Amino acid sequence: MLTYFVIAPILIAVFLYLLSSHYVAKILAIVVQAIFLGFTFFLFMESREQAIITVVGGYADSIGIILRADMLSSAFVMLTAFIFLITAIYALNESWSKLYWLLIYIWQGLIIGIFLVRDFFNVFVLFEVATLIVAVLILFLRERRSVFDGLIYIMVNTVAIQFYLFGVAYIYMLTGTLNMDIAAAVISETDKSQLILPYVLIMTAIIFKCALIPLASWLPKVQGIPRAPSAVAAILSGLHVKCAVFLFLQFQFIFEPVANHDFFLGLGLLTAILSIIMAFSQDDIRLILAYSSTAQIGLIIVGLSTNNADYGSLYHIINHAIFKTSLFLTSGMLMQIYKTRDINKITGIFKHSPILGISILLSILAIIGAPLFNGNISKYFIMDDIDMWLYVVLSVVNFGTIAIFVRYAFMLFGNPKNASAVLMHKNKVVSVLLLGIFSLFTGIFGVWIMNFLFDSQLSVSVGSYIEKTAIFAVSVILAVVLCKYRYRLTKQLNYVQALDINFRGMCISIGLFFAIMLIFVGFL
Amino acid sequence: MTFAQTVAILMFFLAFFGLITSRNIVKSIVCLVIKETSAIVFFLGLRFREGILPPIGESLSQPLEYIADPLPQALMITAIIIGLAVTAVDIIMLIYLTHETGSTDWDEVKAKTKARVASLDYE
Amino acid sequence: MSQTLMVLWILSAVPILFEQKIMKMILYLGAYSLITSIVFLIFGAPDVALAEASISIFSTIFFIICFEKYYDLKDTYIKIKWHKFILPACFTIFLAALFFWFAPTATPSTYSMELYINNFMNEVGGTNAVTAIYLGYRLYDTVFEALMLLITAIAISHLSWHKEKTTLEKHRYIKISKQAADIVNIITPILPIFGIYLITYGHLSPGGGFQGGVVLAAFFVCRYMIRSINDLPVVLLERFEKLIFSSIVLLAVFLVFLGIPEYIAMDAPPIFKSVYLVTMNMLIGLKVALGFVMLFYRFITIERV
Repeated sequence: MLTYFVIAPILIAVFLYLLSSHYVAKILAIVVQAIFLGFTFFLFMESREQAIITVVGGYADSIGIILRADMLSSAFVMLTAFIFLITAIYALNESWSKLYWLLIYIWQGLIIGIFLVRDFFNVFVLFEVATLIVAVLILFLRERRSVFDGLIYIMVNTVAIQFYLFGVAYIYMLTGTLNMDIAAAVISETDKSQLILPYVLIMTAIIFKCALIPLASWLPKVQGIPRAPSAVAAILSGLHVKCAVFLFLQFQFIFEPVANHDFFLGLGLLTAILSIIMAFSQDDIRLILAYSSTAQIGLIIVGLSTNNADYGSLYHIINHAIFKTSLFLTSGMLMQIYKTRDINKITGIFKHSPILGISILLSILAIIGAPLFNGNISKYFIMDDIDMWLYVVLSVVNFGTIAIFVRYAFMLFGNPKNASAVLMHKNKVVSVLLLGIFSLFTGIFGVWIMNFLFDSQLSVSVGSYIEKTAIFAVSVILAVVLCKYRYRLTKQLNYVQALDINFRGMCISIGLFFAIMLIFVGFL
Repeated sequence: MTFAQTVAILMFFLAFFGLITSRNIVKSIVCLVIKETSAIVFFLGLRFREGILPPIGESLSQPLEYIADPLPQALMITAIIIGLAVTAVDIIMLIYLTHETGSTDWDEVKAKTKARVASLDYE
Repeated sequence: MSQTLMVLWILSAVPILFEQKIMKMILYLGAYSLITSIVFLIFGAPDVALAEASISIFSTIFFIICFEKYYDLKDTYIKIKWHKFILPACFTIFLAALFFWFAPTATPSTYSMELYINNFMNEVGGTNAVTAIYLGYRLYDTVFEALMLLITAIAISHLSWHKEKTTLEKHRYIKISKQAADIVNIITPILPIFGIYLITYGHLSPGGGFQGGVVLAAFFVCRYMIRSINDLPVVLLERFEKLIFSSIVLLAVFLVFLGIPEYIAMDAPPIFKSVYLVTMNMLIGLKVALGFVMLFYRFITIERV
């Protein structure tokens, strides 16, 4: 039954592609997506009772390929369907060829496949196909200057995934199976010294796909490609990277005996801090969003690596997908209106189009964790019950995020100088406004939704909530001051902005990361 | 560790060395191909012994330790195809880049393409 | 003997890394792939060896014929600065040392291998365990692999920007010598027969849909090399390939995902299983052949921008 959730989008994609009428295909695409979202909701309700397991082809589960939907994975499947529905509505008026729709639906099938499959090798296949699809979609509008970045993206992904392939070979050698659940059972009884290398090999590739800092440069490179469709950039950091984060969580469970949490805690913090500096130095709105994505992913990894903040992190994955999608989609609209991606040249969005301004404001409030918004709830639970030093560092990280987006919010005010009178398509406005309202909704009912999604028993204590709100207010004021005086740092920030890493450098950083992690896990 | 595994790991790092020293895009792609085959050899060589039989036909009646493992073989056919597919896309992009810049050198190609991406404005 | 071959294999990769002429490097890559497929043969993996051998033809062709058409490889040198090799070499040796230090030494588990070997004849059929896994137990992977090929075809036709200019005359055709043309002339008619053999007997002997399909596609490449013509309608091929793809997905859905093997394959007479395997092999073979022909024709018809 679960195979349908993977195969159906692909089958529908091919069917719609073969359909002769472009218009009918687009309308059908939306309808099918909406129905699909309904089905994923039923899947979620079913898996709440009991995890659903399907062996493809009905063979014995030790030799067939297994798909499993538990509460977590089906929640992510539901999120995937939701985001794809929204981005489909957003792209409805574009006059792109049917190829776009074909690829985007196949991509949906692949992402859902990664969330559901419990097989080491199938993950490799799905990731490789997804890599290629992203490359085609990112270059979809045939921006000739960007082929170089596309080439680097594909090649460096191949380098990283080969580490994964080696790791899978070792897993197969040790456990004799590729099924994650059976392998996990065998691994828990295997000698620790045998597991270190496979763990590090697999994690190197997964961390690369998560875009954590030594290996993060591919994500901003791809998202910064000048005319990459906004919907694709949105799904890339909203969902594609989250697949890797989901797998990171799974592999931490599977490799329980050797799993190292401190290393990833440090890595997540490093990623968050460095990406915030990178994001603050950029002028390109796409790159600001891209680097802030890596910062948020760092935060999620930190949350997943502390002892008791899992739920906050998992909810942050969902929230980040919602508001970052909204931000990327609105950035696409801004680029259409202002004909530039330079943050300094975009002003007066409120005056030009109030609805767009409101939806941008809602997403900004969500990402900086303003009270009542979803980012607030998930950050509250990430920072709940942790060591004092970590609390301080995370507060600084959150201050950085606020600083980035206060600067981003400056675009909303002032006079629209460079704006051109582009027709605002209703479908675009509806989709981004829907996302903005949704982030408010998931914030107000945040605790209830978390308890529903993860079957947890969480509650917010009033005292610490007020304390965090106070910290938030102070951070906002400081951030406004910082942004006002940003011009004094221009020279240093331009230096950071010009930092670039070439293909050789990326390969070296993969090797270096591998070595450091191996030493850390093996010797310490 | 079998001899085949050792050789495959050495090959993996030989290709990695090629990747981190290569200044030419064609060479980098060739190194990627080599790295891919090293992973495949490693996978197939896990249970290698002299005179091992393929898991086909008559030899299946032999005891298990004389037969090669069929699962890695099925997996590696998939991996080979994926490798070729990625290589083909790499080459097509490279052909495009050499058209544009007349070079296959990483730094030169980058310098010539990046010079045109400086502005954040659209036409 | 086998150890000598493996050492030879690793030595064959060394000149690739230190070669200064790109053209020579690619030829070395061809030789390397050949040795690799022989290594696969002694590993008891004739299926993989066939796949590697037939694939390596294509990767070499993509590199040489297609690249050479648009860019003068013969005059291209890679500048090698030896002193810049020292640090990377130390780094790589350090990595390799770490790798070997932590490498697991346990004896490989035969847990699932036993299950496959003992059950595949009853559950899937045929006498080739690899094909049984490829088309039965792990058909799910195979479907995505077919998808990969489709997306590569799309990517290549999308990224080659072929529609914007139509100046076919600008192509530089590859001239091959008369002796070479004679050899290709002899090989060409054998290829389709060999391909069809690989496809139809894939479930009993080494081979299968994929390998057969590539060999079939090689027929078109040879034909191109002799006659240097560009007469296949690429758009038609593309549409055809899409149809084949949808049929393969449909087959996968109806045959495997609906659980038909559960009901039929266990009790069905062997002939049914053979029919199933041969049909799947033929579909995959057709799909792969068309996909590769399409890739090849796309490659040779890119316009000079």
